[in-house]
Amino acid sequence: MLVQTLEIFLIAITAGVFGSILGLGGGIIIVPVLTLLFNVPMQTAVAASTVSIIATSTGAAVAFLQDRLTNTRVAIWLEMGTSTGALSGALIAGYLNQRFLYILFGLLLAYSGYNMFKARKNELPEGVLPDRLSQKLQLQGSYTDRQLGKRIDYQVTGTIPGLIIMYFSGIAAGLLGIGAGIFKVPAMDQIMRIPFKASTATSNFMIGVTAASGAVVYFARGDVKPMITGPVVLGVLLGAILGAKLMVRLKSSTIRKLFIPIIIYTAFEMIYRGLK
Amino acid sequence: MTTHGSEPDIPSPHEPIELTLARLLRIGSFIAAVLIAVGIGTMLLGKEALATRLITAGLLALLATPIMRVITAGLIFVREKDWRFACFCLVVICALAAGIYLGRVHS
Repeated sequence: MLVQTLEIFLIAITAGVFGSILGLGGGIIIVPVLTLLFNVPMQTAVAASTVSIIATSTGAAVAFLQDRLTNTRVAIWLEMGTSTGALSGALIAGYLNQRFLYILFGLLLAYSGYNMFKARKNELPEGVLPDRLSQKLQLQGSYTDRQLGKRIDYQVTGTIPGLIIMYFSGIAAGLLGIGAGIFKVPAMDQIMRIPFKASTATSNFMIGVTAASGAVVYFARGDVKPMITGPVVLGVLLGAILGAKLMVRLKSSTIRKLFIPIIIYTAFEMIYRGLK
Repeated sequence: MTTHGSEPDIPSPHEPIELTLARLLRIGSFIAAVLIAVGIGTMLLGKEALATRLITAGLLALLATPIMRVITAGLIFVREKDWRFACFCLVVICALAAGIYLGRVHS
């Protein structure tokens, strides 16, 4: 019992570190580890992973907010898409062919992985012209980059396309229970042209909100098992606090390079699930 | 484009929204971490019933934090008379509430 709790705790710290650096929920680590290594039932693992997304988000956001890496205005604008998308996903569940969705979202991820690979050497986006809505909503941001040692001012574009993609990412989350951050980061990076670090920090900020509504439902169903979820969440929380301290000192291009294998892996896994 | 880059364009008598939200999230995660840690300690001592309660309380504190964060952001926008963003927060809160309601009905 003690050894198992300690093992879960240590793996959860790792998940928290990576999740917070990459702006992801960490379900990609937590769910397989719990089900395959610790024989936890799938439902319990997914519930634990959903609660731990909130831990990643909350633990890391403190440091990101203080460094102004999180763009709160962009986050709230896009949360409209993710939250209504998650709601639609829950409503249409059962009416749609899940296989088709897995393949569609998988291909979408493969494509953004390819774009990310092409941009792997770029540190900051250049020559971004804000669209009119972005100017009206004052979505532009600025942060002090500790790695580059200078202040970065940036503009935001693709305001409406970004919102639409977030809506579909919300549907994926509500319907398939996946993709806390894996769709958000590429959308902010490639469509809205936000610097990569600000994209992962803003994604990290947003994922907690969608996860919270899912977690409430898992709680009500009794899927959240305190003895499993407790050590997971505590580990992820500590890992996220550590990871955030590390992340602000990393280069955007380094974080992007860490992101590429994960997005490619997730793309193939989703296509596989759709085909099998 | 003139607003680009300069320090706070519109001077505000209040602290920036980032700092308020950071404080809220820090308090939420601190309470959750302490409750869960004490709960796990209690579990290792063999008092399972108490441990379950403490951990559950910690998890609920964690769960409430992002929801409180959206509500707080909404209130800050109302105070700043930024009605557009206050509305955006309201949309998010309604979608969350509807999602929770539907999820519970179906479960």
